[in-house]
Amino acid sequence: MTTSVLLLAAIGAPLALLLACMVPGLRKRMPLLLALAPIPALVAALLADDTPVVLGNAQFALSFAMDEPGAMLLLVAAILWIAAGAYAATGLRGTVNAGSFVVCWLMTLTGCVGVFLAADLVGFYFLLAVLSVGASGLVLQGGTAEALRASAVYLGLALIAEAFLLAGLVMLAMATPDGSLLIRDAAAAIPASPWRDLTLMLLVVGLGMKAGLVPLHFWMPLAYGAAPIPAAAVMSGAVVKASALALIRFLPFDIALPDFGLPLTTIGLFGAFYGVVIGIMQSQPKIVLAYSSVSQMGFLVAVIGMGLANGDASATQAASFYAAHHLLAKGALFLAVGVIATTGRRRLWLMLLPAAILALAIGGLPLTGGALAKLAVKPVLGEGLVELLATLSAIGTTLLMLHFLHRLAASAAPDPSASAPWGIALPWLLMFVAALVVPWTLYLVTGIGTWADVLQPAILWAALWPILIGAGLALGLWRWGRYLPRVPEGDIVVVGQPAMRVIVQWGDALEQMEGVLRQWPVAGLSLLTLILILGGVMFNGH
Amino acid sequence: MPHSLSTQDVTTPGGLLLVLAVLVPFVGVLAGMVLGSRSAQRVALAILATGLAIAIAIADALVRSGDAVVYILGGWTPPLGIALRADGLAVIMLLAVAVVISGIGVYARADFGTPQGVREARAPLMFWLLLLAVWGSLNLVFVSGDLFTLYVALELLTFAGVPLVSLSGQPETLRSALRYLLYALFGSVLYLLGAVLLYGAYGTLDIMLLAVRVHPEPVTWAAAALMTVGLLAKTALFPLHLWLPPAHAGAPAAASAVLSGLVIKGSWFLAVRLWLDVFAGVVTLPSAQTLATLGAAAILVGNIVALRQVRLKLLIAYSTVAQIGYLFLMFPLAAGLAAAQLDSATAVNGGLLQAISHATAKAAMFMAAGLIYTTLGHDRIADLRGAARALPMTLVAFALGGASLIGLPPSGGFLAKWLLVSAAIMTAQWWWALVMFVGGLLTSAYVFIVVVRAMAPAPEGWTPKACVPYYQQVAVLALALCSFLLGMAVFCPVDVAQIGRAVVPGIGWP
Repeated sequence: MTTSVLLLAAIGAPLALLLACMVPGLRKRMPLLLALAPIPALVAALLADDTPVVLGNAQFALSFAMDEPGAMLLLVAAILWIAAGAYAATGLRGTVNAGSFVVCWLMTLTGCVGVFLAADLVGFYFLLAVLSVGASGLVLQGGTAEALRASAVYLGLALIAEAFLLAGLVMLAMATPDGSLLIRDAAAAIPASPWRDLTLMLLVVGLGMKAGLVPLHFWMPLAYGAAPIPAAAVMSGAVVKASALALIRFLPFDIALPDFGLPLTTIGLFGAFYGVVIGIMQSQPKIVLAYSSVSQMGFLVAVIGMGLANGDASATQAASFYAAHHLLAKGALFLAVGVIATTGRRRLWLMLLPAAILALAIGGLPLTGGALAKLAVKPVLGEGLVELLATLSAIGTTLLMLHFLHRLAASAAPDPSASAPWGIALPWLLMFVAALVVPWTLYLVTGIGTWADVLQPAILWAALWPILIGAGLALGLWRWGRYLPRVPEGDIVVVGQPAMRVIVQWGDALEQMEGVLRQWPVAGLSLLTLILILGGVMFNGH
Repeated sequence: MPHSLSTQDVTTPGGLLLVLAVLVPFVGVLAGMVLGSRSAQRVALAILATGLAIAIAIADALVRSGDAVVYILGGWTPPLGIALRADGLAVIMLLAVAVVISGIGVYARADFGTPQGVREARAPLMFWLLLLAVWGSLNLVFVSGDLFTLYVALELLTFAGVPLVSLSGQPETLRSALRYLLYALFGSVLYLLGAVLLYGAYGTLDIMLLAVRVHPEPVTWAAAALMTVGLLAKTALFPLHLWLPPAHAGAPAAASAVLSGLVIKGSWFLAVRLWLDVFAGVVTLPSAQTLATLGAAAILVGNIVALRQVRLKLLIAYSTVAQIGYLFLMFPLAAGLAAAQLDSATAVNGGLLQAISHATAKAAMFMAAGLIYTTLGHDRIADLRGAARALPMTLVAFALGGASLIGLPPSGGFLAKWLLVSAAIMTAQWWWALVMFVGGLLTSAYVFIVVVRAMAPAPEGWTPKACVPYYQQVAVLALALCSFLLGMAVFCPVDVAQIGRAVVPGIGWP
């Protein structure tokens, strides 16, 4: 009973605020409530048990439920949404166009909480669409021509991904016994499905696109670069995790599927390195962070891939924990970009030091959440080549994050005595504290490991040396970095432009052909031809 | 031979309502003609309310009895007499049309109202009369039980639809109307020819009797091909759509909504009726695939050409060309399911939902475009700046309608897509699913372009050319919401569309 109230409140609160936006008077006051909207989700993540909530009848029902990966991610996502909401409210004070920002924000929040809690296929797909449309609206709030392009690319790619996903979900639904639409039942039925391989392929491609897997990662730098800072924070932190969570929930981890797992790991690891290589050629802090997200999401997918390849059910917990840490740290760092940009040289260290700790945490700095996350996924990755590559990726990440810090420090406000307003500095510091404390708490509470595991000198050293090597490489990057080529943000998206030209030419030709078909003689002829064809086809069939 | 209609030959409770559903709009036409345009509007609005109530009552009678609603005219059973019958498909269409017509009627009060003190004019009078005539003939299409009554209904529909194109009386619109009239006439001739062939071969025009009598033989194939292609011409399925884009170019928004949302659904519905109920044992899967191939071509060409339009109105018109294509994807899916001895309800319901969700969404979008035109004084897509600021509700309506066309949940378009994709996978015809996805992407591109352009801030000092009444915006939003929330139909505990369509063996029939 209480669980159902908690879950419905978690989704209902942002949805109610979204509907309230239809009244112009309420819409104007909505920025003040942005930070409060995710609180029911936070409470639900802490208190709800795994009783599902079912809305509907015997023919069709939507259901919501809390599982362990969902609870973990919802908890940290709610914290990020609260902090980013407070940050956004400060930024919106006195702006004219607050209304559309608020609508997109609440829509994205509703979709995000909903996807984390959805327990059936249709509800999941619906809320994912809400999430995508809302998020592309958030990108649009950047207000620039780049934002328009980024938003179009984001929405287009999201819809393509959802087309794959829909096909996959329909197949899942059809292969699930007793007409059940529950994700749990569907995932359990995949191994026996007559379309097993095709279903998995469609799901992995659809969710992989939304998770930013190379080569379909280019929307990430475009979108995060163009979106307003709090929007970029929630998108890189919370929104993109929806697809990781979906992978965790949909894929069958109880049987070994190396044919799918290993290619997924390969693509993921390739993305992990690709993000680093392109990222160190970027100069804007937000874009560097976006490429770090490409890299980190790649790594996360690699972990999921290894779990799938080995039929390792513990991969779900490890991957969720890794995702939770990345969510907190990346969300916090995006907020840091905004804080540093309004902070002068005099107080820069005060703000830059926490940012440095979080940045290195993503690389796996000992005693931080990042080190815990790497430790948690270690058993899933196993030993051998994948482990080696994981270590190399930690080195690369450290290099990328130090490059980010370098660019971040350079982006400080020109006025040395400037200081960030409390309305944005406090949310950022809240995120900093959360990114330090919450991973530790989760690590110990969920029983992934114990204090004693983490504090072994060998473990500490194993986490530390990649950082040191990364730092050494970063020195080299500062010294010789100017010789690196400049890659435009979104790298391979530039290939799209000539392709677009070709498509436009085809469109011309098609339009002309359509014009010809609408001429009287041609249309008359079509009429007669069709009769003959249709009659002929029927005649032939018997 | 099994066929898919149940076999009552007595008037059922509520049967008289079917007569009313057809007669009441035509009574309105006659009354309006006598009373003049000011009263015609009042009459029309009263009839709209009455007709909506009748449609709801018919739906109630259907669900209550769990079987088709039938009325035997004069107590003479077919083939001697004429039967009106409404199964689940017909009732749902009746209801959807009543809702859409009511929305359009409320909207049109502002454009075709004749306030006190203004001289009565021809165009408003014509509009209200034609609106009612379209409605009456559509209802007749849905409930008729024999091919000749259906022919009359189709002709009425065409003759009511054509003048809607040229309400303004401009030479250009007259030319478009003539184009439409001529092409639709070709369609009628073909349909009539097919009907005559059937009558010659089987001696009846009653759908239920024909369903048991037709055999796969050359004369039936010829009749099926002629009738189908005739209906396609009236439905404007690509490449037989020459009349559709020009017809919309000069028609008033409300008239476009009627044409695009409703009129073409009449001939489509008849094609469905013929293929599912009359020719079920005659048509083959390849012939159904031929129809769907045309549909797929319509989706691709229509959407791409829509993307290249300069005017919003024509963009929406070409979007209709594309959406008509979706309506024909259900044919091979239903045929495939039937061939595999599976329930074809998945495909049929998908097609039906697609039709309803398009009717509501497209009517809303055309009317939204009309409001944008009134407010900005033009409808050039490149220059829609300020539209969102002036008409926030209307733009939301446009976006919701667009979402339904794209097939985003929870819209009717989504549920339709889900059902059709399921049917495509079940019958191993995945390419139709592919076409639907590509079509959805192309649709999303032009909806996005329009919405983003309209959201751009207006230039300094810009003021709207005209203010539109609030109730018009509400009517548009209400229709768009109908379409957007239509996916909720999945919560409906009974499958209304399939009532009265149970497969029963045709025992006891001559």
